[in-house]
Amino acid sequence: MFERFTKEARAAVIAGQQVARDAGSRTVDTRHVLVALAESTGPASRALDAVGVDRHDLTARLRDDLRAGGLDGDALAALGIDLDAVRERADAVFGPGALETAGRSPAHIPFGSDAKKALRLALREAIRLGRRTIDGGHLLLGMLRAASPARDALADTGVDLDALRRALESDRAPGSQSA
Amino acid sequence: MAQQPLVDTAAGDDPGRGLRAVRSLRELVDRLEALQVARARDLGWSWQEIADALGVTRQAVHKKYGRRT
Repeated sequence: MFERFTKEARAAVIAGQQVARDAGSRTVDTRHVLVALAESTGPASRALDAVGVDRHDLTARLRDDLRAGGLDGDALAALGIDLDAVRERADAVFGPGALETAGRSPAHIPFGSDAKKALRLALREAIRLGRRTIDGGHLLLGMLRAASPARDALADTGVDLDALRRALESDRAPGSQSA
Repeated sequence: MAQQPLVDTAAGDDPGRGLRAVRSLRELVDRLEALQVARARDLGWSWQEIADALGVTRQAVHKKYGRRT
């Protein structure tokens, strides 16, 4: 399937792995790829701009969420655990930022099932739109097709997902110029 | 006092909140374990000593952390 990816889409997949590495994630999910797409130029970014998404704000927030990993301070507080106190202790014993970098991701971070599914759906979207190659816009369409963490994150920012879909589809309508 | 929140979440009646709390707890345990194991190795502990302290087999702890050091 990867041989069908445009250079830009391939770059986004690779950059998604780097986003995962930066965040200390153990798998790559659709949010990592969304950050990569939103931080690059291409059909996905154009569509996000077209529906009024503040890409800088979106990626900053997603990166923060990803860095926190599964560590939800509020959930732990409800158990009577003060995450800030634990972090302070960990910093003192293991060095600054220890808790954030603990159990750091391996050299190769595998794609999670959610991201794999989105890649498959991206292929379907490309075929549906009569394209031979899969670009970043198709990747984003694939993430929007089924429930995914990336779709949830976009919905949380108040993005009109239908409008985003239309923007992605119109950018690649036959005969349209893609810069 | 400290018992009350536990009743509200991990043992509470909203599975969503309870499960998120459990997930965070597991993540926290995983990270603390990784930090403690790495430090013990730095201080010269053997895999067997670490395994004994964690209550698991030497193979289990070596498989999980052996390649990182």
